[in-house]
Amino acid sequence: MGHCIENPRSSCALGGALALISSINRTIPVLHAGPGCGLQVTAGQLGQSGGKSYGYVGGQGTPSTNMFEREVVFGGVERLRETIDGTLEIMDGDLFFVLTGCTADIIGDDVKSVIDEFKAKGVSIAHAETAGFKGDSYYGYNTAFQAIVSQLVEVTPRDAKMVNLFGIVPAQDIFWEGNFEEIIRILNKLGLKVNSFCKEQQGLQEIKKSSGAALNIMLSPWLGQEFLAEYKEKYGVGTFRYPGLPVGPTATSDFIRKLAEYMDLDKALVEKVIAEEENYVYSYLEKIIGSFTRYRFVIVGDANTVLGLTRFLVNDFGRIPLAAVITEDVPPEYRDGIVDELTHLEYARPPKVVFESDKWKISEWIRTYKDDAALILGSDYEKEIGNELDIVTVVVSFPTTEKLIINRGYAGYRGCLTFIEDLYDNN
Amino acid sequence: MSINLELSAAGTRESRLGSITGYNGDLKELVQQSHCGTLIDRQRCFSQSSTCCSGCALAQLSGIRDVAIVNHAPSGCTATAAGVDVLNAQLAVKRGVSNSTVYVGTDMNEKDTVFGAVGDLKDIVLETYRRYQPKAIFIGTSCVSGIIGEDVDSIVEELREEIPVPVAAVHCEGFKTRIWASGFDASDHAVLTSLVKPPKKKRNIINFKNFFESAREEIIELFANFGVEPLFLYQNSTVEELAGLSEALATVCICGTLGTYLGNGLEEKYGVPYVRTINPLGVTGFETWLREIGKVIGKEPEIEEYIVKERAEYMPKIEKIKQELQGLRAVLGMGPGYTFEVSRVLQELGIKVVWAAAWHYDQKYDNGEVPPALDYLLKHSPDNFKLSVADQQNYEILNILNTYKPDIYFSRHPGTTIWAIKQGIPSLCVNDEYMIFGYKGTLDFAQSVLDTIRNRSFEKNLAARTKLPYTDWWYQQENAALLKENT
Repeated sequence: MGHCIENPRSSCALGGALALISSINRTIPVLHAGPGCGLQVTAGQLGQSGGKSYGYVGGQGTPSTNMFEREVVFGGVERLRETIDGTLEIMDGDLFFVLTGCTADIIGDDVKSVIDEFKAKGVSIAHAETAGFKGDSYYGYNTAFQAIVSQLVEVTPRDAKMVNLFGIVPAQDIFWEGNFEEIIRILNKLGLKVNSFCKEQQGLQEIKKSSGAALNIMLSPWLGQEFLAEYKEKYGVGTFRYPGLPVGPTATSDFIRKLAEYMDLDKALVEKVIAEEENYVYSYLEKIIGSFTRYRFVIVGDANTVLGLTRFLVNDFGRIPLAAVITEDVPPEYRDGIVDELTHLEYARPPKVVFESDKWKISEWIRTYKDDAALILGSDYEKEIGNELDIVTVVVSFPTTEKLIINRGYAGYRGCLTFIEDLYDNN
Repeated sequence: MSINLELSAAGTRESRLGSITGYNGDLKELVQQSHCGTLIDRQRCFSQSSTCCSGCALAQLSGIRDVAIVNHAPSGCTATAAGVDVLNAQLAVKRGVSNSTVYVGTDMNEKDTVFGAVGDLKDIVLETYRRYQPKAIFIGTSCVSGIIGEDVDSIVEELREEIPVPVAAVHCEGFKTRIWASGFDASDHAVLTSLVKPPKKKRNIINFKNFFESAREEIIELFANFGVEPLFLYQNSTVEELAGLSEALATVCICGTLGTYLGNGLEEKYGVPYVRTINPLGVTGFETWLREIGKVIGKEPEIEEYIVKERAEYMPKIEKIKQELQGLRAVLGMGPGYTFEVSRVLQELGIKVVWAAAWHYDQKYDNGEVPPALDYLLKHSPDNFKLSVADQQNYEILNILNTYKPDIYFSRHPGTTIWAIKQGIPSLCVNDEYMIFGYKGTLDFAQSVLDTIRNRSFEKNLAARTKLPYTDWWYQQENAALLKENT
């Protein structure tokens, strides 16, 4: 604490973890948390990420110990045991995943020993410590994947054509479903099987055999350091890290060619896929040339979105970036890399890059560009300063409650066309 | 009397109103046990995530114009702030006003749980005041601030010396109460203790406690017939308007659960009469409510004249559409301020209530009396229908729907509506609190019921392709199977 978070740009660790766990097919989250946590993190995470709800189970309806005064005073272990017992009878799932909230973690309930009791009875069950005070949604994503790798993955024979895909954070990336679909489509076209864990009804089986992947692909400049290290150490699976989402032809082709250096891919196939996909994109770009103006923009969002959209707008679309604000709490050691990536694109002058999450400070920052900027890309929060300064503002990052986002995405080749449509949507 | 404005917190509904979240039985038993004081809360050995009082408390206050909410909590508890911003902006535009309310969190981290963070809280409140000059500041507490024992009241005392606007603590730790409506009381308590001032003169105003003032124009017009103006609370209220609540002729509400603390508090402290009838939903509710207002403001002849005129226009249409609704079977799942009122309206329209679930139940309101809707049903309900109290325990609702297979399910929370639809039951979400208000609302509502049951394409198609997360075993059990026996 010590600083003011005016209008946070993620939920908490529990919110990020619940969004991930609920997106894994037939996985039943069990909250060991306060009564309101399920609703708060659902409203705060999914509700502000394009207005969807959970599918099979999640949010309200998630089994929860609902810790009240009695549990705070006397401990909640017995209540947790009882709740898991009930869950096993009532809820139909392949995997049960206990997520702890602030209350459980402060009072120090020994959750692991309860989980071990159920494991001993042959129940597929895991747990992660995801108290909100420990970190934001990204922390929750990392922690939940750490628990998955440590507690659920099993030794499997290597499959040279299988990859694990990470870095698109469910319900924190507001276009996560569409972004996943496009990246999976491209990887499939290259002849690869993809473990996304979150899409195509993938679940416990894909988790268990993910140790047999030829490679982990991490689409983030900083996420997952620890769980990726464990994949390497325990199962010998290495990682190809691409800094941020690949958006548009230049970045996506770059992503594919770099991937080809890590894997044994047919060179001819790689170039054929790239040519086909680039032709597809440019066959549309040439038709919208009438809309082309070389305007200057300011962008606010998570590192993945800022990197992805800035690279596309600059390297493919000739736009001028004035400033980029990265809003999540990126560990200090990764910040230089992000700045480096953003300041070495094709322009006359690099953008100013800052790391800040406070809405007021960001708005004040944007105000300094009021005479230059023609476009603000940000979240719902930036609409306010955009309206005040009369600068067109397009919502591209978390949070947003103003539009319903089903399966549109900005990643890859096709996503950049959707992004351009949104830029010119006058609503 | 259960309201004590000398304390810093409103207290929970369990302690003030004997409220419960676990019951399974029928109408007669529930009301009789409420009167005798023999009603006992039943716990569950399995529960699903419900809601906490913090959401209710801070959502109410954040609708007030140009104030600041500072939530002393980890980030996740403040994560709905963006939604509040958007909602406030939209509802202000609708009214043609502006709302600069800000919603700030203190983002408590692990270090704070060990060393405490009231010093930082104070700095953040001062910084918030410096940035925005809000007209009042409300400081919310959370599970974390409560468990580690943060002395927020002392900080509020200090801040009152340093900031020239009202500052109030809103005690809404989620673990303290199973009744999230206790949060409504926490917000009312903060308003009553920090904003409302003693009256200087009476004004022609009726305080109208509601959620989003969606029937604003209609009610302004209605009240103009009797020479009074409504003041809608709290969405779009100003701090100045709230200071003058004590000068109103009366307080009314759209939902007894929402209104009990403020209405009774204003009556006890400042003598503003609180209209405690059944609610203005359906024909009987609307007329009963209106007549009581007439009595309080001394306009009974004008009210009778209005009723005659409106009846002539609407009753033939309502009677006609009722023919098509006869014999339909319904299940309801709502907050108690609506469950029992909507049950009454359904019966008025000829629809049979086969099961009514309330998310909690107040054995009495803050005046010490059983909620009027229950006494009304006990006298007038054609049958002694089945009834349960469950804090949005979705598994129980789906079991009930599977057992009773009603023609329609009524909810007031979109979250539970979705699940009924997934199970193939046509559902109508009574989301807008004015959906069944007055004669016109009743007619529109009846039409909406018909629209819902006559086109079942979405429910049919979705249910055919959706696997629900519950086991077959569960659907074969009684819906009360996981309620523990009374001890």
